[in-house]
Amino acid sequence: MPNTQNLTHNAMNIIEIKNLSKVYDEKTIPVYALNGIDLSFKEGEFTSIVGPSGSGKTTMLNLLGGLDAPTGGDIIIDNTDITGLKSRQLIDFRLRNIGFVFQSFNLIPVLTAKENVEFIMQLQGISKDQRDKRTLELMNSVGLSDKINTRPNKLSGGQQQRVAVARALASKPKFILADEPTANLDSKSAENLLEIMEKLNKEENITFIFSTHDARVVAKARRVITLEDGKIVGDEMKNE
Amino acid sequence: MIVAIILGLTGGILTTSIITGMIDQKVRAGITNEISHIQVHNPAYLKNYESEFTIAHPDSISSLISKLPGVKAVCSRTRITGMAASPNDAAGILIVGIDPAAEKKVSGLYTSIPDSGGGYFTGIRKNQIVIGRKLADKLKIRLKSKMVIRYQNNDGNLTEAAFTVNGIFQTSNPAFDETNVFVKKRDLDLITGGDNGIQEIAILLNNIDLIPETEIALKTRFKDLDVENWMEIRPEMGFITSAIALEVYILMGIILFALAFGIVNTMLMIVFERTRELGMLMAVGMSKSRVFRMIMLETVFLTMIGGVIGMILSAALVGFLHQHGIDLSSVSKGLGAYGFDSKIFPFIKKDLYFNLSLMIICTGVLSAIMPARKALKLKPVEAIRVE
Repeated sequence: MPNTQNLTHNAMNIIEIKNLSKVYDEKTIPVYALNGIDLSFKEGEFTSIVGPSGSGKTTMLNLLGGLDAPTGGDIIIDNTDITGLKSRQLIDFRLRNIGFVFQSFNLIPVLTAKENVEFIMQLQGISKDQRDKRTLELMNSVGLSDKINTRPNKLSGGQQQRVAVARALASKPKFILADEPTANLDSKSAENLLEIMEKLNKEENITFIFSTHDARVVAKARRVITLEDGKIVGDEMKNE
Repeated sequence: MIVAIILGLTGGILTTSIITGMIDQKVRAGITNEISHIQVHNPAYLKNYESEFTIAHPDSISSLISKLPGVKAVCSRTRITGMAASPNDAAGILIVGIDPAAEKKVSGLYTSIPDSGGGYFTGIRKNQIVIGRKLADKLKIRLKSKMVIRYQNNDGNLTEAAFTVNGIFQTSNPAFDETNVFVKKRDLDLITGGDNGIQEIAILLNNIDLIPETEIALKTRFKDLDVENWMEIRPEMGFITSAIALEVYILMGIILFALAFGIVNTMLMIVFERTRELGMLMAVGMSKSRVFRMIMLETVFLTMIGGVIGMILSAALVGFLHQHGIDLSSVSKGLGAYGFDSKIFPFIKKDLYFNLSLMIICTGVLSAIMPARKALKLKPVEAIRVE
């Protein structure tokens, strides 16, 4: 059994995964990307999912984010089993509950940093005044209040990823999924980004779940889940 | 894409305006020189064009017509079929007896006499005749030549007289030039020894748009006469006008259809290039309907920008060419054979621009469907990782 040491006794589970599996090429040569995973995440966790390439990290994040459908099992987020949601419901669920930070930032090049952060709130139907206020707060919290009118091509990789973090936070999600967030950053930018995310986690109790190969991310994480061949081979809680 | 739309549209509108201008000039020349806006006849005359079927009390009718609102000028014509002969040849003709002063107010035929073609009716000399270039060539006669016209008067007697060619006109209608000769009615009556009567009253209006209401007024007032507008008199000209209007839309439809392929191609490229961005948008929660609308709006917006610039450019170009004309005198012989002027004044109706705007919007919307559907088929999980 993995070594589990629960440090967030009082926090409630926001994600529960039951017997989750994902099989590719089911009818020809089945490949088990995830095989019978049972897992839960509590509010305020700062978790890294690690493992070698092909271990199922990205598949896990895709399933948690509702971007892909599992072959079997349930994913219950805040009492909603997202595996049973219809496509339209799932899109709306993602909009209101999940924040995404991508490896390649994926900012919209024609929009300014402010507009990149703001558009998610626009999708949520939030008023202009509230959007402006929250965008400024978020840009401030990621240390880019002086870059709000700058387009992504004028920002460094680290700054772009910080805008992406602000964008992920804009919708006030239940948790943020970050797929290899430091993979395209130099060490200084990566360090800086991790500090910001750690600060947001500690001060605002925002839940972060990373998939990563980066030892720096693993070092910062308070929980490290290790996957291998689609199975959990380690789930470690670190002491503060 | 915008440049393609601008060029395609400008080319299409310019081509259309040249065709419309050519046809419009031909129709206007036909109305001015040959038909006028409305003609009044004795209904029996129109069956076999026998000159015995005259209009009773033509002077009082002309006077009444000239007082109708919108009527610019009225003239009465004697029309008798006959023969023209020169020492070289003979030809069947329509002899039109006119009062030159009144005729000049209705018909612009006198403007079709070139400088080398003599004059209209000059001086008080008797038996002047104005004929078409085509007939002059056929009879091998020149200005001041003598020719004989022969016809049957109302009593059934054959009458003939010699006339001097005083003017040779050349209109855009070779058939008209070959068959119509103009003489003073007074000369014709003197030769006949009595009044040949009036077979036709031609009416010129202030505006071509006044035809329907004037026609109704005339038909109501002169129930025993046949009242026809220019399109009824020369249905082929009316047909050309309607056909050209249809042709304009067919031409623009073809151009926009071709442009639609370009738009689809460009938008597919845009969707392809922005796969990761679209994947991100769908991943973070942009609904499919929003993605669809976004691509649709973007396509329509780009199409409209090209469309508006293209129309402004076309309007300026057509306006300039309408003012200055396009001189095609190098091919005037060929154009003349088909009855077209050698100087073309491109022209386009204003409502075409409005209809074109709608056609462009429709093209944009229809062209956007395929790229938008392509965008919808993207799977966010795959699209966000496309390099």
